[in-house]
Amino acid sequence: MSIEKRMLARELKLIAARPGDIFKPMWFLMLVISMVPLALAPDSDLLAEIGSAMIWVATLLALLLNTEHLFQSDFSDGVLEQWLFLDRPLAWLVGLKLIAHWLFHVLPLILITPIAGLMLSVPTEVLFALLATLFVATPALTCFSGLGAALTLGSSRSGILGVLVMMPLFVPVVILAAGVLIRATDGSDTLPLMALLGAFSVVAATLVPIAVSAAIRLNIGGSN
Amino acid sequence: MIFEPAQIEISELGCERDDRLLFENLSMKLESGQILRVAGPNGAGKTTLLRTIAGLFDIQEGEIRVNRLPLKECLDQILYIGHKPQVTRDLTVLDNLKFLTGADEARLKSALGDVGLKGYHDSLVKELSQGQGRRCALARLWCVEAPIWILDEPYTALDVEMVETLDAQITSHVNAGGICLFTTHQLPQQLDYQTLELGHVD
Amino acid sequence: MGWRWFHQWGSPRWFYERAGRWQLVCGWLALILLVAGSIWGLGFAPVDYQQGNSYRIIYLHVPVAFLAQAMYAAMALCAVVLFVWKMKLADVAMQSIAVMGFAFTVLSLVSGAVWGKPTWGTYWVWDARLTSMLILAFLYLGAIGLRAAIQDPDQAGKACGILVLVGVVNLPIIKYSVEWWNTLHQPASLKLTEKPAMPASMWVPLLVNILGYYIAAAYLVLGSMRAIVLERERRATWVKELIGRA
Repeated sequence: MSIEKRMLARELKLIAARPGDIFKPMWFLMLVISMVPLALAPDSDLLAEIGSAMIWVATLLALLLNTEHLFQSDFSDGVLEQWLFLDRPLAWLVGLKLIAHWLFHVLPLILITPIAGLMLSVPTEVLFALLATLFVATPALTCFSGLGAALTLGSSRSGILGVLVMMPLFVPVVILAAGVLIRATDGSDTLPLMALLGAFSVVAATLVPIAVSAAIRLNIGGSN
Repeated sequence: MIFEPAQIEISELGCERDDRLLFENLSMKLESGQILRVAGPNGAGKTTLLRTIAGLFDIQEGEIRVNRLPLKECLDQILYIGHKPQVTRDLTVLDNLKFLTGADEARLKSALGDVGLKGYHDSLVKELSQGQGRRCALARLWCVEAPIWILDEPYTALDVEMVETLDAQITSHVNAGGICLFTTHQLPQQLDYQTLELGHVD
Repeated sequence: MGWRWFHQWGSPRWFYERAGRWQLVCGWLALILLVAGSIWGLGFAPVDYQQGNSYRIIYLHVPVAFLAQAMYAAMALCAVVLFVWKMKLADVAMQSIAVMGFAFTVLSLVSGAVWGKPTWGTYWVWDARLTSMLILAFLYLGAIGLRAAIQDPDQAGKACGILVLVGVVNLPIIKYSVEWWNTLHQPASLKLTEKPAMPASMWVPLLVNILGYYIAAAYLVLGSMRAIVLERERRATWVKELIGRA
C-alpha cells in the first residue's frame, strides 16, 4: 500500500476507534451558540444581525480547540518520530494529516453550522455565504492551528498555548470572511473577496506545513 | 533476504545536551555483519547517540555517512525502535503494523506469530500487557527490509523465550548482511557483539 | 573586519564585555536626546490648531509605536541569523527584544488611549492603528509564552524563531486587512518619503524623540541581553570569576 493510502486508512481507523472525537467540537459549537441569545436577548432581529459573526467565531474556537492536540498522542506514543523514516518529505506527511483532519473533523463541524444559523435567525443568503467562507477559510485555519499544535508538542502543561500563539494570525481570514458576510447581507458581489480568501488558504496550505514539519523535527530532536 | 554490503561511517561526532558534554571526537566504522552494543551508566548519552545515528537528533559536530552518502538521505535504510511504545493504543495490533510497515496482511500475521502474538492481530493495543505491546513494536523486525537496525533497550519487558527469539532474529539479520546497534542493561547471552563504552567526559 | 569580527559575535563573553560599553554610550545618548526632545516637544513646539495641546502625546506615542513594530522585525532578523548562522547571541537578542517589544507595544496602546480621550471622546476605538497594535501585542505575548513553556533554551529559541518568522510574514497581511477593515484613524503624521503634514517646529522634536527612544530601546535590550548571557553561561569560569569579584 502506498504511504498516502496508509495514512488515510489510519485516520479513518482512528475515527472509528474514537467516534466521539468528531462530535465534541459540534457539541461545543451548539453550546456556545445557545449561550448567545441567553447573554444577549431573545429578540430575533438583534440575533440575526450578529448571528453569522457569532457562528463564525464559535466555529473558529471549536476548530482551534479540536486541533490543539493534533500531534500530541502520536508524539508521546513515539509514532510521530517514525514518520521521519517513511520515504516521503515530512512536510508532505504533515499536509496529509492536516487534510485528513480537515476532511474528518472540520468538515462535519461546518456542516452543522446551518442548524446554528437557523437558531439565530440568520437570513438564507447569509447562511450560504457563511458555509462558503467556512469551507474556503478553514483549510488555512487548520494549517495554522496545526502549527500551534506542533510548536507546543512536548512542553508540559502548555494548556491552550498552541491556540493562543496562533490566534493573531487568523485576523486576516476573519476579516475577509466578515467582509463576504457583510456583502452577502447587502446583496453585493462577494466573488472577489472569496477569491482572495481562497488564495490565502491555498498559499497557507502550501507553506505552513513546512513550518509545521520544522517544529515537529525540533520537538522530536529535543525528546528522548 | 540478503542485504547489499552496508557501511556506517561516523567521524568526530560530538554532542552536548543540557550543558553536559556527552561525547566528543567519536569515530568508528560499522560494517555488514557487525553488532554493536552501546554501553555506559545512566545519562551517559546512549540514547542520544543512538538517536543521532538514527537521524532523529541533529548532528552538532562531526559527520555520519551511510554507504558514503549523508545520513539524511538514507533514513529509509534504518529501522529504529526506541523507548516509547511506538504503537497507537486505540488501534488494533494489525492496523498499527499496517501503517508502520506497509507490508501485506499475510506477512504481518506471520510476523506476529514469530513474536508470540499469534491470534492477537485484532486486539486493541490497550488491551495488551506491556510485554505484549513491546512485542508488537518488535514485530517490525520480522517484516521490514532495512539493513540497519537501531534498537534502544529492546529487551525491556520481554520474557526469556522472547529474548532468545529476538537474539536469533538479530543474528540472522546480521548474517544476511545487516548491521545492528543496541543498548541494554541486561547482557545478551547468545549474541556475538562488540561494545562501545560511553563514559562521563570531563 | 571579515570572518574574525563575525566570529567574535559568537562569543558570549566578548559580547558581554563590549555590550557594557555600548550600553553606557546608548544610555547617555538616549538620555540627552529624550530630555531635549521631550522638553522641546512638550514645552516649546507650537500648539496644534485642531487638537490643542493634547496632541503632544505624539512625542511619546509615535516613537513608541514605530519601535513596537520595528522590534518585531528585528526579532525576525534575529531568527534568520539564528537559523542560518546558528549564533546563540541571536537567540539571546530575540528573547530580550520580545519582552522589550511587548513593553513598548503596551506603552503605545496606553499612550494611544490617552490621546484618544480628548481627541475622540473615548479611551478605546477599534481603528486600524490601535487594532493592529493590539494584535501585535498578542504576537509578542505568543513569543514570550512559547519560550516560557519550553525547558531547553536552544529548543525554545528555535521554536520562537519559527513562530516569529511565520508572524513576520503575516504581519503586513494583518496590517493591510485591518486597515481595509477600518478607515477611521487619522492619516500617518510622518511618512518617510512624503513631506510631513506638520510644520518643522513640530516634527523636528518628534524626530529627536524617535531617535532618542530607539537608542533607549537599544540600551534596554543590551542590558537585558547581558543579563541573559550571564544566566545562560553561569557555569563558565569567566562568569564565576565575575560574580566572585562582585
